[in-house]
Amino acid sequence: MVAYLFALRQGRWGIAGFGAIAFLITLLNAAGFYQVAGHTTAEREAFARSIDVLAAQFSVIVPPPMRPDTAGGYVQFRAYGALAIAFAIWALASASAAARGDEERGIVQAVLAAGISRLAFVASRAGAFAIAATVAALAGSAGVLVGVASGGESISPAAALEAGLVLVALALCCYSLTLLIAQFTGARSATPVAAAVLLALFLVNSLSRTFDWLVAWRRLSPFHYFEQSSPLVPGEAIDVGATLVLLAIAVAASALAAIAFRYRDIGSPLFSLPTPSRPASYEVSRALAWRIPVVRELYEQRVGLLVWTVGLATLGAIFVVLTKAIVEPLLTIPGLARYFSAFVHGDVYPSFLGLIWLSFTQLLMAGFAVTRVARWSAQDSDGRLELILSSPVSRAGVVIERVVVLAVEALIIVSVSGVSVWTESHSQSIDLDRGRLVAAMLLLVPFTLVFGVIGALLASRVPRATVGLLGILVFASYLITQLGPIFKLPTWVQDGSAFKLFGQPLTTGVDQTGLVIMVVIVVAGLVASAMVMERRDIGA
Amino acid sequence: MAVAAIHTAGLSKDYGLGRGLFELDLQVAQQEVFGFLGPNGAGKSTTIRLLMGLIRPTGGSAHIFGLDCIRDYVAVKKKVGYVPGEMPQFGGLRGSEVVAYFGGMRGGADVRFVRMLAERFNLDLSRRYREYSSGNKQKLGIVLAFMHRPQLLILDEPTSGLDPLIQQEFYALLNEAREDGATVFLSSHILSEVERACDRVGIVRAGRLVRIADLEELHSIRFHHVEIEFAAGARIPTDAIKAAAGVEEVVVDDHRVACTVKGSFEPLLHAIRDAKVANLVSHEPSLEEIFLEYYRESRRALPS
Repeated sequence: MVAYLFALRQGRWGIAGFGAIAFLITLLNAAGFYQVAGHTTAEREAFARSIDVLAAQFSVIVPPPMRPDTAGGYVQFRAYGALAIAFAIWALASASAAARGDEERGIVQAVLAAGISRLAFVASRAGAFAIAATVAALAGSAGVLVGVASGGESISPAAALEAGLVLVALALCCYSLTLLIAQFTGARSATPVAAAVLLALFLVNSLSRTFDWLVAWRRLSPFHYFEQSSPLVPGEAIDVGATLVLLAIAVAASALAAIAFRYRDIGSPLFSLPTPSRPASYEVSRALAWRIPVVRELYEQRVGLLVWTVGLATLGAIFVVLTKAIVEPLLTIPGLARYFSAFVHGDVYPSFLGLIWLSFTQLLMAGFAVTRVARWSAQDSDGRLELILSSPVSRAGVVIERVVVLAVEALIIVSVSGVSVWTESHSQSIDLDRGRLVAAMLLLVPFTLVFGVIGALLASRVPRATVGLLGILVFASYLITQLGPIFKLPTWVQDGSAFKLFGQPLTTGVDQTGLVIMVVIVVAGLVASAMVMERRDIGA
Repeated sequence: MAVAAIHTAGLSKDYGLGRGLFELDLQVAQQEVFGFLGPNGAGKSTTIRLLMGLIRPTGGSAHIFGLDCIRDYVAVKKKVGYVPGEMPQFGGLRGSEVVAYFGGMRGGADVRFVRMLAERFNLDLSRRYREYSSGNKQKLGIVLAFMHRPQLLILDEPTSGLDPLIQQEFYALLNEAREDGATVFLSSHILSEVERACDRVGIVRAGRLVRIADLEELHSIRFHHVEIEFAAGARIPTDAIKAAAGVEEVVVDDHRVACTVKGSFEPLLHAIRDAKVANLVSHEPSLEEIFLEYYRESRRALPS
């Protein structure tokens, strides 16, 4: 019992965060349906046709919608498709932390030393995650009911609960698979290896909608069984068999993970190759980069920076290809004009690139800022900042160096991404204004820094709560831009979002006011965080 | 007159609920090795963080070589080498890179000196930090503190996690640093360690400095628990043991005798010289036991 409670306590922020996300996503999509779908049967049928055509372009990623003319069908398509991915990521992070992360931190050793068996340890972690996922999924179900009620309609509570149940089954399945994979990998590689496997399983299922030769393989994917149930769609119900398959995989994988855990050494994978011995070295690294402020941080984070740079550049090229494929058929449908009228201004292709690629890139760059801020707050809590400040460097200097490093990293990432988009759009015969593309890319730097300096200020003030608070800020800021036009939120609310301050540089050029506000926020945030850092206690 | 290496006046950090450090008046001369002794939670690390300018005092002041620890914290750090109470995480960085990183912050590391330190401590700098044992992490902390030959070494329980052989090497390094002109401020909760390494010792308890003692005074405070097991059938010289100078709390149980010994062991060894001893075990009491004994002695000494 103690082990369960401890495991639940370890995951309390996950429960709170994913519960809030599930509730907001289902609530906003259900309520948003009544804003965009219209109220007459004819309006909703036209809306459904538009969604069908739109979804067909993304069938590589998401399953086709069923009855999108109903709130239930729309929420099943929009909200639960996204929640499946979100819960899979949550399961991945939780399971790799439980299996190997806590091992590195010595928590597993402490628990086992308290007399808890390895089997009980795995059971407590899996059980605690099941409870956590259930609570978060129930929040999602509540969001559906409240959102639909806001439109003056109703939906069966049983259907909402069934949708949550399928989500929990998928999350448990992903959790257990990660738990199993982590027994066979090194501690550091558990997360990336499990992520690669889960991504492959996701793609096997989603690509099988396009490539027939993958159809036979999709039965391996938990996401295939998840998609068999659409309980929110009128006339549809939970697929009991498919849900039981998910739960059976979860139980079997957890059991195998427990057995593997029983036989492996703590800190090592189940099977490992002996490392060749080599003579000790007492030499200091002679790399010049360690001597130069800013460069030393870039050098230390070079692998992560490379991954972000290549990832965003690849994503940019893919979005250009997708834009071409999506926009051409959409332009032939008159009914879609109303749906997109809230977003699209000026030339169609740059507008869509701005809408799809740039807004997604903004979100990723905000996420990048969060990862860097997380590193700063970790340096505070694990004592590295204390050791840095035992050197003759000023506290303000530490803050300034961090923000400059973030600016340089952001510049590198967006520059390469911009080149990638420019090259691909050229080959796709999309006529992009080079000046505006450069401006849009450069504008992403102050945009990233806005979140960076807010994070620096938070890290100087409340280092342990920084990541959560900044994550909420990013999420809220993004939601305001996405849902503000649909819900017709007041202008001052929409203008408060950093995503709004960024504007639409690809179509309308740089919004001077937005740029000035962002620069003011960056400078003021930098000065404030340097001042707070100078006066605060470190490591207390 | 040379400026003190460390000077504090009424230095306080009040965390509330009686926790923190209160009214610390301390002076450590240059080239002195000063031990700061106290049980866990006594305020040792708080004192060190105040000296390092990492936390701000709620009262009083602290100076290092005449420089204010808060106002002149950057200048202070040029003169100081620091081993923290707990080494941070450096993940995938190699030991050689961690040294280069912190060396770079001081304008570059003395490569030859670092190599000498690493060789002495048998610290393989090519390995990744996360592969290091806790002892190796501590060795790296010592290398980082000593590598720029600082004028003042502030060491927060520097030998924790080190094996006895490496501890000897560390004490030797400490002596060499002192001979080269360095001052050392060393915190510990092990009496024998400060006794061995330090010229003077400040004893801190519950956030307050209760005593500053030189080595002679320190010897008078300390005592040992001794257990003697006599051979079966052997005569036990109980009276001689009880009469031996410095021997107290004698308890005889069958052919075993337990007692405490203050000061020299010579009188006890003399008392049992003719007996057939099968086993003799001596162990140092905890710091808390020493404090209790110290306060009991103080109360006895007070006039009634």
